[in-house]
Amino acid sequence: MEFSLNEETKMLQSTAEKFCREKSPSSFVKNMIKDKNGFSEDHWKEIAQLGWLGLIYDEKYGGIGGSFFDLFILFEEVGKTQLPSPFLCSAVFAGLLLNEAGDENLKKAYLPSMIQGKKILTIGLRNEQGQYDHPTPALDAQEIERGSYVVRGTRILVPYAHVADEIIVCANLKGKKAFGPTLLKVAGKASGVKKTLLNTLTGEKTFGVVFEGVKVSAKDIVGKIGQGGAYVDKVLPKVITLKCGEMVGGLSRVLTMTVDYVKQRIQFGRPLGALQVVQHYCADVSTFLDTSRMIAYQAASMIDAGLPCAKEVAMAKAWVSDAYKKSAQIAHQLHGGIGFAEEHDLHLYYKHAKVSELDFGDSWYQRQKVAEAMGL
Amino acid sequence: MRDHQPYGKGEGRMRFTFTEEQNKFRQEVRDFLNAELKAGTFVERSGGLAEGSSQEFSRKISRRGWIGMTWPPKYGGHGRTNIEKAILVEEFFKVQAPVAYHFLCDRQIGPSIIHFGSEWQKEYFLPRFIRADDNIKFCLLFSEPNAGSDLVNVATTATKEGDFYVLRGQKAWTSSAHEADYGWLLARTKFDSSVPRHESCSQFIVDMKAPGVTIRPIINMAGYHSFNEVFLDEVKVDRKFMVGQENEAFKQIMVQMDYERAGMERLVQNYPIYEKLLNHVKEMGKTQRGDPFYNWARDVVAQLEIEFNIGRLLCYYTAWTIDQGRRPTSEAALMKAYCNQYEQRLNDLSTLVFGPASQIREGSPWALYAGEIADCYLWSPSYTLQGGSVEVLKNIVALRRLELPRK
Repeated sequence: MEFSLNEETKMLQSTAEKFCREKSPSSFVKNMIKDKNGFSEDHWKEIAQLGWLGLIYDEKYGGIGGSFFDLFILFEEVGKTQLPSPFLCSAVFAGLLLNEAGDENLKKAYLPSMIQGKKILTIGLRNEQGQYDHPTPALDAQEIERGSYVVRGTRILVPYAHVADEIIVCANLKGKKAFGPTLLKVAGKASGVKKTLLNTLTGEKTFGVVFEGVKVSAKDIVGKIGQGGAYVDKVLPKVITLKCGEMVGGLSRVLTMTVDYVKQRIQFGRPLGALQVVQHYCADVSTFLDTSRMIAYQAASMIDAGLPCAKEVAMAKAWVSDAYKKSAQIAHQLHGGIGFAEEHDLHLYYKHAKVSELDFGDSWYQRQKVAEAMGL
Repeated sequence: MRDHQPYGKGEGRMRFTFTEEQNKFRQEVRDFLNAELKAGTFVERSGGLAEGSSQEFSRKISRRGWIGMTWPPKYGGHGRTNIEKAILVEEFFKVQAPVAYHFLCDRQIGPSIIHFGSEWQKEYFLPRFIRADDNIKFCLLFSEPNAGSDLVNVATTATKEGDFYVLRGQKAWTSSAHEADYGWLLARTKFDSSVPRHESCSQFIVDMKAPGVTIRPIINMAGYHSFNEVFLDEVKVDRKFMVGQENEAFKQIMVQMDYERAGMERLVQNYPIYEKLLNHVKEMGKTQRGDPFYNWARDVVAQLEIEFNIGRLLCYYTAWTIDQGRRPTSEAALMKAYCNQYEQRLNDLSTLVFGPASQIREGSPWALYAGEIADCYLWSPSYTLQGGSVEVLKNIVALRRLELPRK
């Protein structure tokens, strides 16, 4: 048991903290919600130059070969300011799928440009109810002639599809010889790919994507036919853990904002924060933060160490989902009317908490995973 | 407020696993306890905090070097880490080993003497604690009828008369006073009303067999005699039994309480119930899979498992904080409040999963686990009160850590 960070990680953390604070003030985050692109190309280039996109990838693809734990720390900082970008979908989710499933040619063709920020990747893994359905995807890839397939079906909540060079999907491949859930890459600009911007709680750019008979070929198959679901399952714990990092970052900002507010807001002739009921609410949020950090750091550190941790990851997502949401709710109660105003920043976190809770399985879903891991 | 970072200086790589040495130590403790269980020295049963008391058992622990583990070797301590201490306490309480004979001395009396005691007190008491000698059982004479959470309101007085202090007053809710050899007492030593109350109290070690000490039992709602009223009628205490500085008791108590709260026992005193619950739900799964009640019970156990795991991390984090040389004030407060509430939920949910028969107490063939679940439910309200109520602990987090204003 050791709870300190090494110098290297602390340096990365402080660089990330400074970058996010300077580049991504809340005014910027709010502008990006209205912006057509939804993120800054300049930021994206800088993030690539900082090496963040390649942090965990092998040096032969232009990566840094760094530690997963450091990437987790980065996401905690990103979550604090809600810096919008395709970081998670491109450099983590899609990138890890290619890294896990792709052959050497495919990796060489895509990972370096992804790491340099020149290509943006995304994933279309959620069905029309928004559920991840990779074990039995409601998206078909029918073989029409040898090595040629037609993709039909709908994916929703596809992040940053408008700028994605490639969308990685898991389709139910129906070949003459081979079949089953299979990863495919589909060019974002391919004909028959219809993208509709979704107006969601956070306003981060995400799309409904309808594949209207999109033609792909055998070279677009990523990994082995029939193994698509397994690849996604392999990569998911990492993505979920980084999402938890982002949530912990958001939660820590909720606490900071709330404590600052109740210290300076005078009512009944004294700061709100001098009222014991308010103090106890703040102590509750502080507890949600500490507990969330502990359980999420544990998952990140075990992944980093290469230890089996399906249960730890599920525990983290279950707890952090609840803790972040409840904290944001308490924060709204303590902020009163001003927190409900659009000009305030608190709602960014209230919304982020809900959307994050709904992604990758909420606490109930994750508890079922915990129970499974316990042999129940 | 700056974003709070929970980590400090250390070896510099966050790691949520134990070292090989620590794992070996845990196994050593387990082997010892298993052998004792097999020999029938004690039975696993949840309930009151370290109720089982046996000097013989404590002596065995002493011989293994497990009392005063973290204390300086100068006084017979073993200079080991608080992480190791937490491992020891976790294993002890998981099986509810009967450690009450030395536990209070080990957890807080010894550390308080190390912090504030005179050289004579250190040399006299510490080796006796470490050896689990005769007459080392302590009780805490803090609370009074009008001084509970508001401890500065103590009315018991200690008046200086030559080389002695004379005690007059009444203490309440004193756990184990009827079995104790010594009481660790808080009393007023300055009677000038212009002096703030928290600067007018001192701490003493009182011989519970001394003339003028009268103990009356208070039977608790679980039906057990665990706490008492203690009356002090002109009790003479030699000045060498005053601990630390005169009128500095509250500064000392604040430190003492941090250590009292920092222990793993706050999480694992009901572990045997948790194990029974887990096994019960596993059994249910064999025949009732898909049944809505089973699904609910499975979800309950998963949630408790998550909460237990988090509590455990908080406990080890607090132990680690002490090993870093920091006082774990807000860490221990936050951890204890969290763990206490977890244990209350556990005991409530156990009655629901086990169903109506869980209300039957010991002595009936229909009682589950000899009434253990019923007992634990009855003990539950005390967890969030003893050693600082959850509300007092939240105050500490709010004022100390979040630096919210008092006024």
